[in-house]
Amino acid sequence: MNICMLTWEYPPRIVGGIARHCEGLARALAKMGYAVHVITLDFPGAPQYEEVEGVKVYRTSIELGHPSFIAWVFIFNHFMEKKIAMISKDVKFDIIHIHDWLVALAGIAAKHYLRLPLILTLHSTEFGRASGLNNPDSYLIDGVEWWATYESKRIIVTSNSMKREVEEHFHLPHGKVDVIPNGIDSSRYEVKIDRETVKKRYGIAPDERIVLFVGRLAPQKGVEYLIKAAPKIVNDHPNARIVIVGDGWMRDYLWNLAVSSGYRHKILFLGFLSNSELIELTLSSDVLVIPSIYEPFGIVALEGMAAGVPVVASNVGGLAEIIEHDKTGVLVYAGDPNSIAWGVNRILSDPKYAFWLVENAKRKVREVYSWDAVARKTAEVYEKSSGGV
Amino acid sequence: MYRRGSTPISDEIYLLCMLHNLGITAPEKSLTIEEISRWTTVEPSKAKENLNKLLKAKYVGVRIVSGVKRYFITADGIRKVLSMYS
Repeated sequence: MNICMLTWEYPPRIVGGIARHCEGLARALAKMGYAVHVITLDFPGAPQYEEVEGVKVYRTSIELGHPSFIAWVFIFNHFMEKKIAMISKDVKFDIIHIHDWLVALAGIAAKHYLRLPLILTLHSTEFGRASGLNNPDSYLIDGVEWWATYESKRIIVTSNSMKREVEEHFHLPHGKVDVIPNGIDSSRYEVKIDRETVKKRYGIAPDERIVLFVGRLAPQKGVEYLIKAAPKIVNDHPNARIVIVGDGWMRDYLWNLAVSSGYRHKILFLGFLSNSELIELTLSSDVLVIPSIYEPFGIVALEGMAAGVPVVASNVGGLAEIIEHDKTGVLVYAGDPNSIAWGVNRILSDPKYAFWLVENAKRKVREVYSWDAVARKTAEVYEKSSGGV
Repeated sequence: MYRRGSTPISDEIYLLCMLHNLGITAPEKSLTIEEISRWTTVEPSKAKENLNKLLKAKYVGVRIVSGVKRYFITADGIRKVLSMYS
């Protein structure tokens, strides 16, 4: 079976969880014997075409531009559509799989001109990301998301909470949505590191304990609540250092918030890190905090669990499904700095408790969240969707 | 000031977004301040001020062709923009 997978981000173009999801899924499907053709956007230094671990990756150049983001999305979808048409002269695709609204237009067009079933994975919704529909762009994105759900034969989401959200918001017919969680390659975390060397790289003292955040600096990620929790964490654990990895349009606001908290010296902003740097830093951390206020899945939680770092996460969305409170991690109230500080302090104060959480979490990741398991379930969706649009 | 959701975005990040959407994502696609000003309808002095901030943050790179500075977005700049809508 030839799978045409469309995504706007694929390594090395990594922004959020979609790139890592598509890479893990595509590689596992290829391992199962499927021919996976990933069509994505170009990125400085990345080749126009390459084959990595059996996955064929085609990168689309965008020949036109416009200052408006929405116009840009519509333009790149046109070039992606053209790329699909060109590849389809040589490859007889059997299914089209799109990831999120950003590539929906190209996917829908290809569905019709190739007469193929369309599968949509919705990683999040505009309604959830923007905390409601607040401007014309949001309304349009919401409309495209609805349109993609309508055109798709099957819809995949990564958690039960997301399933409830999309069924209700888009008024979907019963039985059209499949829940398949994200996966993780645990072996990536089986590397030996020298924690002291890693800490030194970022100016962290050997005796400092790392409270790590990884993600986009956007409101839905709730980083501001972690920063507001800093005084309570540092008062209990003076050697704690809050390390923020990632970037986003809220960076300046968060920086100023850190300064005004009076604990700026305890909060480190590192920006984007490469995959290998991030793995080493995660392995060197004492606790991973995911303070999201909206999180359809929360792949970062799996990364922490696989790395053997105790996780403190908001009791929302997919996080509440991945983490069993007091067994594989600590769940705290979303948007509540006191609750976040309580969770972090609990782990930092009790190494035996932290060790117990980590052991349980590692076991759960191995058993439930392997990419092989995710690919098997996704292949079942492909098989039951093949034949007819 | 541009707004995403209910939080304002700074002028330089808004300019960064426009540069990205215009496709100025590689040295060979770089533009001068005058060209950037024309495409984005941001005054040249304001564009220069914001480009300097973006250069400092390493979201934008510069190349000099025939003595004229031409600007383009770096890989980190691309990721910064994409993080807004991902």
